[in-house]
Amino acid sequence: MSGAGRAAGPSAREQMLHAIRSSVSRVAPHPGAHPAPSLDASWASFATVLASVGGEPQGPVPRRELSGFAVERARSWAAGGRIVAEPSAAALLGGVAGVETAAATAAPSHFADVSVAIVCGELGVAECGAVAVLGGDAPQRALLFLAERVLLLLDATRIVGDLHSAFRALPPDARAGHHVTWISGPSKTADIEQTLVFGAHGPRALAVIGFGGDAALTRA
Amino acid sequence: MTLPLDDRARTTLPDAATRVRHDAAVWQLRAKRDAAAGVVPDFEALRDRAAAIKDHALDHLDVLLERFEERAVAAGAQVHWAPDARALCETVESLLRARNVTRIVKSKSMLTEECGLNPWLEARGFDVVDTDLGERIVQLGHEPPSHLIIPAIHRTRGEIGALFHREMGTPAGESDPGRLMAAARQDLRARFLSAEAGISGANFAVAETGSLVLVTNEGNADLGTALPPIHVACVGIEKLIPALDDAAVFLRLLARSATGQPISAYTTVLTGPRPGAELHIVLVDNGRTRLLADPERRRVLRCIRCGACLNTCPVYRRAGGHAYGTSVAGPIGAVLAPAIGAPSRDARTLPYASSLCGSCTAVCPVRIDLHEQLLAWRRDAPALPAGLARTARVVAAVMTRPRLWRAATGAARLAWPLLGVAARMGGPAAAWTGARELPPHPGASFRERWKRRVVREAAP
Repeated sequence: MSGAGRAAGPSAREQMLHAIRSSVSRVAPHPGAHPAPSLDASWASFATVLASVGGEPQGPVPRRELSGFAVERARSWAAGGRIVAEPSAAALLGGVAGVETAAATAAPSHFADVSVAIVCGELGVAECGAVAVLGGDAPQRALLFLAERVLLLLDATRIVGDLHSAFRALPPDARAGHHVTWISGPSKTADIEQTLVFGAHGPRALAVIGFGGDAALTRA
Repeated sequence: MTLPLDDRARTTLPDAATRVRHDAAVWQLRAKRDAAAGVVPDFEALRDRAAAIKDHALDHLDVLLERFEERAVAAGAQVHWAPDARALCETVESLLRARNVTRIVKSKSMLTEECGLNPWLEARGFDVVDTDLGERIVQLGHEPPSHLIIPAIHRTRGEIGALFHREMGTPAGESDPGRLMAAARQDLRARFLSAEAGISGANFAVAETGSLVLVTNEGNADLGTALPPIHVACVGIEKLIPALDDAAVFLRLLARSATGQPISAYTTVLTGPRPGAELHIVLVDNGRTRLLADPERRRVLRCIRCGACLNTCPVYRRAGGHAYGTSVAGPIGAVLAPAIGAPSRDARTLPYASSLCGSCTAVCPVRIDLHEQLLAWRRDAPALPAGLARTARVVAAVMTRPRLWRAATGAARLAWPLLGVAARMGGPAAAWTGARELPPHPGASFRERWKRRVVREAAP
C-alpha cells in the first residue's frame, strides 16, 4: 500500500503480519456486548454532570422558542463578534439576521476568528455529560474547535444513560461518516500544577441548549 | 551498589521538598481515580470486559489489522506498515518530504516518543511543534515527558513561568496557570493555522470501520488534524479493537482511571480524510510482536496508557518519571522497556524498580497483572549489582530459616535505638538509610501479638 520509505513497503506489512500469525491462536473469544447499566437518562441528570465538567446546560425550552433563545445566547456571548451556524443548525433556527451559515466548501482557517459556533448535537449521555456531534451536522469540524464559544442544540428527549447505549443509538450512516465527535464541556487543561483552566486550545465555554415539545417540558 | 534508576532519581527529584510535592500531585490523581471508579456501578465488570476484549483482539490481531486496513483504505486513508522505530521515522519523513511540508503540529503520542520521531525530524530540518500544553512545556525545556498523561508534572508553576518568560516573552515572574496557558494558546493557535501537516497518535483503532479514536481534554488533536491538509497518524498495532461499540467499554474506563473525569472533553472518532485532505496511518510494531509471541507477557499489550499504575506506584511517586530513562515510566514502563524497540542494559534493570506491592495491578483498568509481569521480567534482567545481590542472598537465607529469623528480629529489637543512630552516621548502609526514616519499634513482634490475640479469643 505504501511504497514510502525503504523499510515500509509491502514487505514490511508481510513481515509484521507473518510475525503475528505465528503467535496468535485465534481462540480467545469476544466477551460480547457490555450490558448497559441502569442509569438515570433524564435531562436533569445529564445537566448535572455537564455542569460538573464546566459546561452550561440551558433549558429545555419549547421547540418554538428555541431560535429566539439560542440566538439571544449567541449574541450576548459574541458581543458583536462573528456567529456561525453549521447548515443543519441554521435550518433548525430558521433564517436569522447576523448568523452566518458555514459554507461546506470554505477552508477551515476561514473560521479562525469566529466568536460563537452553533451546531446540532445528536444525543446526550447522562453519565458523562457528553454530546455526540455527527459529521453530517458538523461538516466543518474545525469550527467546533476554532470558535471562542460553542452552542450545541440538543433535543432534550434524546438523552441516554450510558455510553454503551449512546454508541448503539448512533444512526448507521453516521458510523461511516467522516467523524463523530463526543464533546463533554469546554476545552480544558490541568497541565500546570493540576490547576484546571478552561479554553486550553478550543472553546473557552460550551453551552448545551435543550429543546423539546411541551410534553417533554411538563415531564421535566 | 545501586541501580541506574536510583542514581537518576537523586538528580531528577533532587530534594525532599520536590519529592513530597511530586508524590502529593500524583497521589491526588489516584484519589480522584478511586472516587470516580466508586460511583460507577459496573466498574469492576467493565474492567473484566475490557481485558477480555483486548485479549480477543490480540489473539486475532492479524485479522483485525487486515480488516482495519481494508476499511480505512475504503474510507480514503492510506495505510503504511513500520516494523521498527526507524521505519516509522523514515516513513513519516518521506511522506512529509514528498509534499514539501516543513511546518508540523503534533498532538501527544507516546508512540512517537518511544520511536524518537521528534529528534529525527528536527535533525532533518522540520519544524515540529508539540501542542498538548504539558508536551509543549517539556519540548521548550528540552526534556522528555515524565508522566503518561501529565508530561510536565515534575515542574512547578514557577519553573514553567520562567521557561515561558525565556521562550515566549511572558512577563518575568508570571506564574499564574491561567495566564501562562493563555500565552501558550495564543502562540500555538498561530502555529495550528499555518501548519502544513498534523501528526497524531491514536487511543484506539477500530477494525470494523477503519476509524481512529482520538481523546484529549484540550482539543489540540482536533485542531491539529482538522486544519492542516495532511494528517499522519502513528498507531501501535496493540491499539486495534474489533468494533465501534467496544470503544464505549474503554472510554468509560480511560478518563476515570487517568484523572477521575467521567470522560475527556473531546473524544473524536475519525474515519478517512476530510474532503480534499490526506490521511496517512502508520501501523507500528517496534517490539510488540515479540511481546505477542510470549503467552505470559502478552497481556502487557492490553495497556491503554491511562497512567493509573504510575499514580499509585510508591517507586514512581518518589523517583519521578525521568528516573526511569524511558519514554513510558512507572510499572507499565518497567515492563515495556525490556521488550520495546532495542532495549538497553539499563532499561532491562527497570523490573527491579518495584517493591512488588501489587498496587499497580489493583488499579489497572484492563487488569494487567503488573506485579507478576515485573517478577517475570526479573528472570531475564541483568544480574543485580554485586552489593545488592549479596544483601538479597543474606536476607533470603535469614527469612527462609524460622529460628534464625526469630533470633535476628530479637537482636534487632534490642539494638533498635542504636540502629537509628547508625542510620544517621552514614557508612556503607547510607545508600539505603539516606532516604528512609526508621519507624519506632512497635514493642512486640508479630508472633507475640498473634499469640496474645489467639489466647484472648480462646478465653471464655
